[in-house]
Amino acid sequence: MPITMGLLLALSFVVSLLALAFLIWAIATRQFALDRAHAATVFGKGGADGPDTDGTHLFDTTGIDKVSARPVRLLILGAIFWLVLGSVFGVIASLKLHWPDWLNMAAPLTFGRMRALHLNLVAYGWLSQIGIACMFWILPRIFRTPLRAPHLPVIGFWLWNIAVTLGALAFARGWTDGEEWLEFPWQLDMLLVLAGVFFVVPLVKTARAREVDHIYVTGWYYLAAMVWFPALFFIANLPGIHYGVEEATVNWWFAHNVLGLWLTPLGVGAAYYFIPKIIGKPIYSYSLSLIGFWGLALFYSQVGIHHLIGGPVPTWVVTLSVVHSVMMFIPVIAVAINQHVTVARNLWAFKESLPLRFISFGAVMYTLASFQGSIEALRSVNSITHFTHYTVGHAHLGAYAFVSIVMFGAAYHIMPRMMGREFAHPGLIRLHFWLVVLGFAIYFFALTIGGTLQGLAMLDATRSFAESVILTKPYLEARSVGGTMMTLGHILFAINILGILRKPRAVAQSAVAAE
Amino acid sequence: MNRYLPLVLIALGILAFATLMLVIAPGVQIAQHAVPKGLNPYSEQESRGREQYVSLGCVYCHSQQPRSPDQAPDVERGWGRPSVAGDYVFDQPHQLGTMRTGPDLLNVGVRLPSESWHLTHLYQPRAIFGWSIMPAYPYLFEEKAEAGPEDTVVVLPKGFGPESGVVVARQAALDLTAYLLALDRTYPVPEDALRDDGYADRESGS
Amino acid sequence: MTRINKQKPGKIVKPGEDFEPWESHNPVPLPVIWIAVALGIWGTALLLQEQDSKVVAQAEREAGEAAAHDAAEGGAALFLANCSTCHQPNGAGVRLAVPPLQDSEFAKAGPGVVAQILLRGIDGPIRVKGFTYDGHMPSFAEALDDAEVAQLASYVGARFGGGETVLAPAEVAQLRMTHSGSGSWQGGAELASLVADLPPQPPMPATAEAGLDPAISDLIFAGKGDVWSCASCHGGLGQGAENTPRLAGLSQGYITKQLHDFRQGERHNEHMSFVAKGLDDAEIDGLAAYYAGLRVDSTAQPALGGDLARGEQIALQGDWGLGVPACFSCHGPSGFGVGAEFPALAAQQPAYVASQLAAWAGGHRNNSPLGLMDRISEALPEADRRAVSDYLASLPAVPAPEPQAMARIEGGEDEL
Repeated sequence: MPITMGLLLALSFVVSLLALAFLIWAIATRQFALDRAHAATVFGKGGADGPDTDGTHLFDTTGIDKVSARPVRLLILGAIFWLVLGSVFGVIASLKLHWPDWLNMAAPLTFGRMRALHLNLVAYGWLSQIGIACMFWILPRIFRTPLRAPHLPVIGFWLWNIAVTLGALAFARGWTDGEEWLEFPWQLDMLLVLAGVFFVVPLVKTARAREVDHIYVTGWYYLAAMVWFPALFFIANLPGIHYGVEEATVNWWFAHNVLGLWLTPLGVGAAYYFIPKIIGKPIYSYSLSLIGFWGLALFYSQVGIHHLIGGPVPTWVVTLSVVHSVMMFIPVIAVAINQHVTVARNLWAFKESLPLRFISFGAVMYTLASFQGSIEALRSVNSITHFTHYTVGHAHLGAYAFVSIVMFGAAYHIMPRMMGREFAHPGLIRLHFWLVVLGFAIYFFALTIGGTLQGLAMLDATRSFAESVILTKPYLEARSVGGTMMTLGHILFAINILGILRKPRAVAQSAVAAE
Repeated sequence: MNRYLPLVLIALGILAFATLMLVIAPGVQIAQHAVPKGLNPYSEQESRGREQYVSLGCVYCHSQQPRSPDQAPDVERGWGRPSVAGDYVFDQPHQLGTMRTGPDLLNVGVRLPSESWHLTHLYQPRAIFGWSIMPAYPYLFEEKAEAGPEDTVVVLPKGFGPESGVVVARQAALDLTAYLLALDRTYPVPEDALRDDGYADRESGS
Repeated sequence: MTRINKQKPGKIVKPGEDFEPWESHNPVPLPVIWIAVALGIWGTALLLQEQDSKVVAQAEREAGEAAAHDAAEGGAALFLANCSTCHQPNGAGVRLAVPPLQDSEFAKAGPGVVAQILLRGIDGPIRVKGFTYDGHMPSFAEALDDAEVAQLASYVGARFGGGETVLAPAEVAQLRMTHSGSGSWQGGAELASLVADLPPQPPMPATAEAGLDPAISDLIFAGKGDVWSCASCHGGLGQGAENTPRLAGLSQGYITKQLHDFRQGERHNEHMSFVAKGLDDAEIDGLAAYYAGLRVDSTAQPALGGDLARGEQIALQGDWGLGVPACFSCHGPSGFGVGAEFPALAAQQPAYVASQLAAWAGGHRNNSPLGLMDRISEALPEADRRAVSDYLASLPAVPAPEPQAMARIEGGEDEL
């Protein structure tokens, strides 16, 4: 048995390595030469030789945005609603960790349920919806054609939000599938899948009807995520066939792929689009885009079992995930060079554009979160950090500092274009930025330091378990402070977005504002 | 890249490969192992208690997977021997957990076999551990002026119970406790046991 | 409309809305490729290495399983494994604590008698070669099969009694049937029926349980208003589990002192402070007397992955390199326990022993006389703490002597 399993393991790793080697070889020998020519001719008419320097219009000139506007607006509003609600539950859960007797008179208020509410509302209500909103905004633009079947996503929006609402009620009543990231009762999962169909069909139709030959890198991430996530979600939620440790491997295969093959493509895709879009300069290297994307697909898809290091699962699966986690350095470095070089060469835009400030900050956090994740998966490091608040800090570095903050910037970029007017109070956007960035910094450093100390205490038999609890308390309090600041930022975000939706006031004259 | 179908097919193919490696292959390997001698299915009451455990979200703070002494001192804390895949065959949904905000519970029924202790602790953890940050679960109990003949009265130190009368456990608390007491994986490890041996000490190994 | 490019003159050109992103053609920087190659090599090396781990761990599990089946062979090996810890490798016993085998009346009586003692164990005072011992020998009926009992009894009879009779496994099977369910031999008094011309044997003392106060019994089995019952955690027989200690056979003085220490905060444990604060002095004395007199077979097993040979070395010889004396030098031969200060260790739950050693080492427990255990525990590395805990768990349960027997051992020092 150990030998055959060892072979299987070696085989899998060799397959990934060969695929990567092939890709690098293909790039080096210009197998993608044809594609490269296409990459440069992405514009229908504008020409590939540089940004269109005389275009100064703020608004949609092609009529493309007008078609996508309705679903995008709905999705952004839905997302913001769940963001605010989900953050409030997050803060309550955080406070309960140091005020355990506060707000504890009924079962729906207990920590375990608040935490499930927080996770699922921000993951499915906020991140997924805002990410899908970006898809509906960006894909028609890079395909240079209006969105097809634009009424379908509106139906999808209602189904999706009904499912999330029912899910929230279910968690509060304690009706859950009982696994982290898979709490939605499977009946509601099916509703989410159905809603997903209403999102995917129009996007695929749009992709097939595109007016440009080449698919821009954002499109790769989005098109792949659109098939990855439904496949993942469906397999993991099949009721009744998973049990015991096998179920645990499915759980973490799914949970990490939700991050790696769903939320990450949403965030990276958006950053890949908005960074050059706002700056007006191309992305650094098409070859690196290829390595970044296919590397993510090859390596990220197999990292999930690093959540079970030292656990009751076969050694080879764990090792497989550890190795692939570390291999993630390769695509992450590729993406980092591509995005950060473009920003670094155009720092003026970072100062001028508030959306870029969010997006570029988020993109840097992607690099850091991924590096941290790769290191955290090493067995020696994992022994300390696993089972501690450190992991929670890491999860927020990825899902919050990276994906959420990119999405804030995306919303600030999209809204003025959609509404045809500027934000009235750019100062509030700046305040939003500093609240969430400082709040997150407090949150992250508190949990990282507290979690490390907690892990070291638990590894030392001469220190009682009580010690590992007591020493984390000040850090948990700091986390609540950071979390509250982030939540205040989200309320400002909601005010900003609702403000631009509502107000058809006379055009502000000093509206350098968001752009 | 300029073609939709190859892009999507290769992307799906890679995911299928990952599924084979991370889901199907370990699933097949785990399924080949028999139920360990000494492990019993949960009784009806224990299953109801397990539902409480799942529904209250205990898993967010408690793991159920002691580590090997090569990695961490779990055995010395009385959390039990390193668990193996076979220990979980009756668990659905699994509750392995990823946090140790509280201690590991896979063998809590062995190290704390007292029903009465668990009832006190669930009613108010801080009655025992002043430093505890575990939620209290008062809604699993009710206050009565006097205990009936069938009632299980909760042992409470002064200052933690009601001014007068007694606290008795509702059925949900008794079920949850029955599940906690059933958590016992101290039977001998089957020889063909599966677990992550990545921390085994290669130097001192036989 | 808005002025996007109210820009600084010259250099910076703001993009128009028509601009859509594209990718330029810079090559992959070489370091990226180097990093990829390096990670590939590292990954392959890691895979090979961890394959070894799997093999090692599997071997250890199988070895553990084999050890549980106890593959010892031959009378000499059986003697070393099962008897020599108490009776000493040369069969001389421990003066005033463990009776000698060498030339003893019982060894001389032949392997049949030895086998019957092995099968039932002894629980009562016994006089051997002119000295009285508080006899507590565990039964080996479960631990050894017929062939092993036969081999061991023949070996003991031949080596220490000088006889030549060889017992056959079939005879042992016969004896096993005759004695099944009879319990331990009630000291030398009952054994006298087995062996002719024994010197006079001491009488059996009255059993402790006879006088169990109903109030104490309630405390033990039902608890009271603000105290959980003892048995609910320590087990119906005071046997303990994991890091809940075995109480059966700990000396009365030790239990009394610990309960007082818990009550006064000299020893820290949230559960036990809770309990001890609800007990008065009389209750503490009653409980301590009950558990001191309780005799229960071991339920402990090595479970911490400790190295038993190393554990035995620490228990029997100590490690002077570390400045650690032998456990048994204070806690008595075979870890019986001595007085109120040195509790019985044999058959104690390994997770409990390890957790206490760790607590001393970490400064969380500090109620040991003269800080003895603090210093010893600090000196022991983590692997040694587990090793010695596992070894002690592998020993048969030897209930502590009765208070009066204890007094005799202490008084006996003068005679030496």
